[in-house]
Amino acid sequence: MVFRRSILSDRQEAAVQKTLQNLRAQRRNRFRILACIDGTDESFVTVRFGARYLIQNNCDLIILMVRPIDIGMNSGGLQMRLARQSMLDAGFEIPGVKHLKRALDILKEEGIDVSAWPKESAHQDAWGDPAGDNKVEYRSPEGRSVVLKLKTSPDVAHGILDQYELGPYNLIIVGEPSRWRGEFKSFFDSGVVQTVTTMAPCSVLVARNSLDKKGYFICTDGSSRSMPAVRRSAVLAHVMGQPITLFSVADSPAGKPAAEEAVANAKSLLKAMKIQVAETRVAVGKPAEEIVESGSLYRMIVVTDEGRSRLQRLFRGSTATAVVRKARTSVLDVR
Amino acid sequence: MNAAATQFVLSRDSLQAREPQAKLGRFRRRGYQRYVHFMGGLDMAFLWKRRWFFITMLVGFVLMGAPTPAGLTHEGQMVLIMSLMATMLFITEAVPLPTVPLLIIVGEVVLLKVDPTKVAQSLMTDSVLFIMGSLMLAVAIVKQRLDKRIAWWIVRMTGTNVYWISFGITVVCGVLAAFIGEHTVAAMMLPVGVTLITLTSNDPKKVHNLAAVILFSISYGCSIAGVATPSGGARNAIIISYWKDFFFDPTDPATRRFLMDYVNWIIYAFPMFMIRLPIVTALLIFTFRPEVTDMSRAISRLRTQVSMQGSMRFSDWLTILLFIATIFGWIFFSSQLGLGVVAIAGAAAFLVFGLVRWEDINGGVNWGVVLLYAAAISLGVEMKQTGAAEWVAASVFDAMRAVGASNLLGFNAVISALTIAVSNTMTAGAAVAVLAPVILKTAVAAGQDPVSAGFIAAISSAFGYLTPAAQPAFTIIYASGYLKGADFLKIGIRMMLLSFVALIAISVLYWPLLAP
Repeated sequence: MVFRRSILSDRQEAAVQKTLQNLRAQRRNRFRILACIDGTDESFVTVRFGARYLIQNNCDLIILMVRPIDIGMNSGGLQMRLARQSMLDAGFEIPGVKHLKRALDILKEEGIDVSAWPKESAHQDAWGDPAGDNKVEYRSPEGRSVVLKLKTSPDVAHGILDQYELGPYNLIIVGEPSRWRGEFKSFFDSGVVQTVTTMAPCSVLVARNSLDKKGYFICTDGSSRSMPAVRRSAVLAHVMGQPITLFSVADSPAGKPAAEEAVANAKSLLKAMKIQVAETRVAVGKPAEEIVESGSLYRMIVVTDEGRSRLQRLFRGSTATAVVRKARTSVLDVR
Repeated sequence: MNAAATQFVLSRDSLQAREPQAKLGRFRRRGYQRYVHFMGGLDMAFLWKRRWFFITMLVGFVLMGAPTPAGLTHEGQMVLIMSLMATMLFITEAVPLPTVPLLIIVGEVVLLKVDPTKVAQSLMTDSVLFIMGSLMLAVAIVKQRLDKRIAWWIVRMTGTNVYWISFGITVVCGVLAAFIGEHTVAAMMLPVGVTLITLTSNDPKKVHNLAAVILFSISYGCSIAGVATPSGGARNAIIISYWKDFFFDPTDPATRRFLMDYVNWIIYAFPMFMIRLPIVTALLIFTFRPEVTDMSRAISRLRTQVSMQGSMRFSDWLTILLFIATIFGWIFFSSQLGLGVVAIAGAAAFLVFGLVRWEDINGGVNWGVVLLYAAAISLGVEMKQTGAAEWVAASVFDAMRAVGASNLLGFNAVISALTIAVSNTMTAGAAVAVLAPVILKTAVAAGQDPVSAGFIAAISSAFGYLTPAAQPAFTIIYASGYLKGADFLKIGIRMMLLSFVALIAISVLYWPLLAP
């Protein structure tokens, strides 16, 4: 057949597929966290958050630094690439390695000392850049692993999204956005964090410096999409040993009973799972503003992503992204 | 891990990782990254650096599409446009300079429809051979490291007074530069100048004026002597070849004076060098007023260094002998053998006697310059053959008459000023190569002597004194770091005005006596 996808026999093909399936299943059995840093001081808070989640033996923490290729007018184009090549030949470090080393130091401060763990490293060429993609993996005897990855990509946000496809992740942690365009402008020019938050297929944690606060502030609107998100994020809070606050907003006083019912439903759902809820709150007003105002005292606001496409968001907006944008504490956008 | 947490497994109960869906999104993302990558590969800075090249091409094509002016052939129009484009590229330096001659060669074949063999033949003339040979000779002489000995000879004659040393340096540099390229002499003598300065004081600020006097003595010595003999610079050889190509007719004995030989050139141009020698030293002293006038400390140290080199070796004597032999060859045999062949013979002799290695010559000669002059001369010849030079000359002459500059004095002043203006913006040799055909034809149209006009063009082209980049000798001494750009302007303006006056005076008072 001309249109066969593989030159292998059916039996061999089946075996290959089975191996792939097994690999995927193994990955799925792990809780994989992608912490993205860009080398600024503020961005290392993502590593701290990632380290806090690395508490079970099936957790992987991947610390990712995406380096844009040396291109364009400001770097002098080809000449820069040649210069980089000769720097590498002369034994200089790839830029970004310094930041990843600092991330390791931060992990040590958080109580995860990887220096004794066996390590493996790999290199792959990418985009014709001499530095390419580099990866160092530390695997503890109990099965936890920490991966340092330096990725090269023409565009940082898309590099992070590419990385998602290499191994699906349960959670992407990114730092605080430095710029955030409106829905319309973001069609043409959106920041790294904005692109990742809107395009990522998995939950995204936008980390701000809120580790000194306590408690998860879980918001729900009572919808069928929201309930599983509440359940899953509550499990995370529970495992972390953080108190849970359930919260719902009614956009008019008439809707207040419905909001209270949503909170009560969520609470009974969690009670069935033997998860304690510290408090429940209900407010009336515009959802995004109320959530930001009440939630900023907690370590983390949890919102459910509406799953709207870019075009839909253009007309209807999105409470979740509005909260991510405006909050003064970390926001977990659950998908 | 607390006990309550054990019942939950994060990967099963908490946030889920969706299987990535390799649908359109993935292709779109990769495509976007490829686009970013590709756009990044387009070096806009490079395009910007080449902007003048594109502008020049655009101007050229627009003019080529324009209707041909009355009295000018189509080929003539093409040649003029090519000269204009070459001039623009020379001035803006949008592409490496040797690219321009390559483009000229291509243009001659493609645009002017000249037979490729003819173009190739027009490239290599005796002047080009001469330029090549004298560059090779210059490298060979600089390699001998005679600089300290020359300095020692100078101060033995002049004594320790800085005024006399300055004059001595100017004279010796001038005499040397009259025979070999000026930049070579500057490069050879610069170490000596810097040695004298550093031996006087280690602090450059304390001896700034002294440094200016000594270094400018070197560069102006080289610069004023560049016109004294035909072998002083490429522009001289170019003018000689133009005279021959434009005016010499083997059947007419009256045109023999256009076959300029070595001695004749010296008779015409050497006074220009002699007059300006004392002017240079006086100007330097009055402009800069050195901090120290007695240099005996520096000279005693120089004496030590020369003694350390030991007595003159056989190779040093041989170098001097070959150099003098070459000069004799130029003076006595150039009318039969041609300037170029003598120069090449001299270079060959240096190689035969093993005084210089071919690798040194190959690395030291800027072969792009040879190409540049070859193509510029070839274009100049085309300019004459297509009648373009005459057409421009007639227009220029009309304009001159309109401003009342048609007598001898006015004519000379105008072409001199024109050449100075152009050569302050580009390499002197290229300026002469492009301008000379027009100037020579204008002289004919105006009823002036083309020989005198050619001398004015060649000599004026050396008056680009204003910036460090104007002349190779200036660039070299500027590289020593002792001088500022303002110093060049300060002395350059006075020198330019005085030189201009001297040239006009000679052209009006002296040259008419030589003409038949």
